[in-house]
Amino acid sequence: IQPPEKPLQAEEWNRLRESFRSPEIFEEVMFNSMVRCNSPIDVAKSLLTYVAKSNGDIAYNLLVKYLALCVQRGQTSEIHDVYDIMKARFRILESGAYNLIIRGLSNSDQWRMALTLLEELKKIMIPSRTNYESCIKAASRHQEMNLAFELYHEMLSKDLVPTLDVLQAFFDFSRGMKGAELQKELFGILLYLRENQIYPHKTFMQSIKLWFESIPGGNWRGHLTNIKDSGQCPVCNRQLEDSDLTEEEYNNLRERIIKDVIHGTDTFRKTSPQEFEAFQAFVENRLPFDIVIDGLNVSHIKPRKMQCENLFEAVSYLAKENVRLLVLGRKHMLINSSNWKREIMKEMQNKADFFFAENISEDDAFLLYATLQSGKHCKFVSRDFLRDHKACLSDSLTRHLFRKWQRGHQIASKKMVLSVFIQQPAFRYDCVVQTTGDTWHIPYKDTFEEKYSYQVPRKWLCIQQKL
Amino acid sequence: MQSANMLLKKIIRSSVLPFVAQHGMKKDLFPLSRTLSLSLCLKQDNSCSPSEKLDLDAWKKVMKSALREEASETVSESKELSALAAAREILEMWRLAGRLVPENISEEQLKTFMECPSKSAKKKYLKFLYQKELYKKNYKRKMDEKRERRLETQEQASETDETKRSSFVCLWSSSMDRAYNWRVAQSMIFGQPLVFDMSYEKDMSIREVANTVRQLVLSEASNRRSVDPFHIHFCNLKEDSLYHKELIKNYREAWSKLLITATDQCYTEIFPKDKLIYLTADSPKVMKTFDHNKIYIIGSMVDRSIKTGVSLARAKRLGLETAALPLEKYLLWNTGAKNLTLDQMMHILLTLKDTGDWKKALEFVPKRKYCGFVSKPVHELKKNLKLINALKLGRRQEELRKQFAKNYSKKLTQK
Repeated sequence: IQPPEKPLQAEEWNRLRESFRSPEIFEEVMFNSMVRCNSPIDVAKSLLTYVAKSNGDIAYNLLVKYLALCVQRGQTSEIHDVYDIMKARFRILESGAYNLIIRGLSNSDQWRMALTLLEELKKIMIPSRTNYESCIKAASRHQEMNLAFELYHEMLSKDLVPTLDVLQAFFDFSRGMKGAELQKELFGILLYLRENQIYPHKTFMQSIKLWFESIPGGNWRGHLTNIKDSGQCPVCNRQLEDSDLTEEEYNNLRERIIKDVIHGTDTFRKTSPQEFEAFQAFVENRLPFDIVIDGLNVSHIKPRKMQCENLFEAVSYLAKENVRLLVLGRKHMLINSSNWKREIMKEMQNKADFFFAENISEDDAFLLYATLQSGKHCKFVSRDFLRDHKACLSDSLTRHLFRKWQRGHQIASKKMVLSVFIQQPAFRYDCVVQTTGDTWHIPYKDTFEEKYSYQVPRKWLCIQQKL
Repeated sequence: MQSANMLLKKIIRSSVLPFVAQHGMKKDLFPLSRTLSLSLCLKQDNSCSPSEKLDLDAWKKVMKSALREEASETVSESKELSALAAAREILEMWRLAGRLVPENISEEQLKTFMECPSKSAKKKYLKFLYQKELYKKNYKRKMDEKRERRLETQEQASETDETKRSSFVCLWSSSMDRAYNWRVAQSMIFGQPLVFDMSYEKDMSIREVANTVRQLVLSEASNRRSVDPFHIHFCNLKEDSLYHKELIKNYREAWSKLLITATDQCYTEIFPKDKLIYLTADSPKVMKTFDHNKIYIIGSMVDRSIKTGVSLARAKRLGLETAALPLEKYLLWNTGAKNLTLDQMMHILLTLKDTGDWKKALEFVPKRKYCGFVSKPVHELKKNLKLINALKLGRRQEELRKQFAKNYSKKLTQK
């Protein structure tokens, strides 16, 4: 139904209500469509008056819907009134009403009122991140950066994840402001991006750049650039951080892979203790490898070719440079079949070490173990994104480590052109926000929606300080 | 929509006249409200505004006068709010706001609600309770209606006829029970064992355990009613485990009289290992025929978030043979996981036991999960499917091309 354009009299509402299919929910439906059509507030008021006069009371959900309309149309005084009425009428309010009031007030000149409401809300539940977002934006819009940061830290301490929007607002509203404390806080946000491997999008990156360049007496200059494969920034000629994990991180990751991925809740789910022991012994005897190959994955690169031929091609390509290879496979590969020719398998076994797992075991877990056990120089070949194994890791910190390690150590073979095995090299540098004190390098996404977690941005913002 | 629109316009048009007529005399009686004088008068010429005499803020007065009365009583009540009471109040407000929240909630449920780790978990739990409540209410309403109808018919019946005579005394249900029990007792001595492995409590949430036990009850019931029942074993069933508690909750006193074997021993301690076959969807081996000399094991587990390989791991650990149902071989699988509920498994196994007919047995697989039975060899069907897909894809590509061409030409004309 379409809401009327002008306020109606009680009789008119009555007539309309009667003509509606199910009169019990008429008011609700009407309010919903008013919110949708962004009707003038007077129309809604006249409906409320009609309801109040005929029932002597207005239900809570109608008040909330009216509130939504007020917020949508920016009617601050009306929001106040409704809040007063609700507050007097009901002992507590629920989160929906609070969300609306906080959002409505934070956009007005009475934004401080939103803060008191936030306090009130805290007494009954943990506010949502949008609640904080509204308040933070309101505070920073009015240049109260200290207050905004206080709220921001409070939000983080409650494990709420801030939206990129809020973070961007900090940079937008601090532009041109002076203060060592403020600068420290904003650097803190950049480090937050680093720790959580978040990449800003293009407009956010612009905000960061503009803020840096606006710092009074800072002499910062930002340039957009692409980093060379060697990891050197073409603007400032600095070398980016490499993607190697520290000794501690590396050991930590290795232990967690064994504990969470291979053993998990039950070692029998992915392998069996006997098999894993056998594999461990096998690897210990032949360490270290340079490249570990996921045999089955590589063998499916070209579906039109025989599987062992695919594998053979990959192995002989990689075997050229006198590297130690390990190929992981399953026992069924040893049985002579149309896809697996015994002679070819024999020949391959001269060029590389092979380990064949049981047919029902997970060979990926072995792949990770062998690569990590061989040391930091070792890489692995697979087109698999290993998402399911990453998901087995129990905390997000280790998952980040895993991604970082994976970026630096996985060689993915692209679809081959003319039977040449083209390597997608592992990254030499680490793709995160990074700083050396007088430079910042910030990777950014071109669009907001780019969402493949395995892809890393290739575009960078280089910011350097000229002293 | 359009008709409603028309109606609206008509109403507005027709209502203007009486307003204007009344306008003159009632004007002084109604004080103009704040917003009205601000917004409305600025926009419209006030001569023909139909709403001028409408007091738009009248509802506020009504609300405020209503709250006077209630305010006095709420004050005395609200002394101190325990966490539970506060949660209850929040729920009440959510219900008023139109969220899916149950009307009545017990202390125990409220505690579970508060222990939910996240907001979405809370929401889910409330929705679950809400739907449960709705379901119960509807059921009760239906029962009431039924009772009323029955009473009516009884009244009519008592007026008309005398007691009917037949050679059987009307004791159907209890005599059926006796017959069933006799058969199950027979099977407990001579029947083929069927094991339910009750060792998955750690892998399940409380709700999943409850669902599992519900399915176990259903399977037991269908076993009891069958011509040649299995001898059911609940193995690894620990005293005071969640399984045990739920089973007692479901069966009440009947639990101790149930004609099954419940034990905390493992099946490997009761039966020879070479006779056991663990049924699991993850098994690489596919069951060909039903073997009357083997003992089949079913894992009593509901996994809403599919945990692959849990039961296969258990079988591997104990070194048991495993098998999966030949679903792929006989059914053209459509959607859904290949793991079936316990009662479906029971139906399938019972049918296999009686007839050995896979087609008949697999009728019990839910219809939504498969498109139909395989009549031709699988590879031929797959070829057909591929062909169909290729055709579909081809058509879509053509559509895309057309779309592109259209857009492209549009672009050209715009330039």
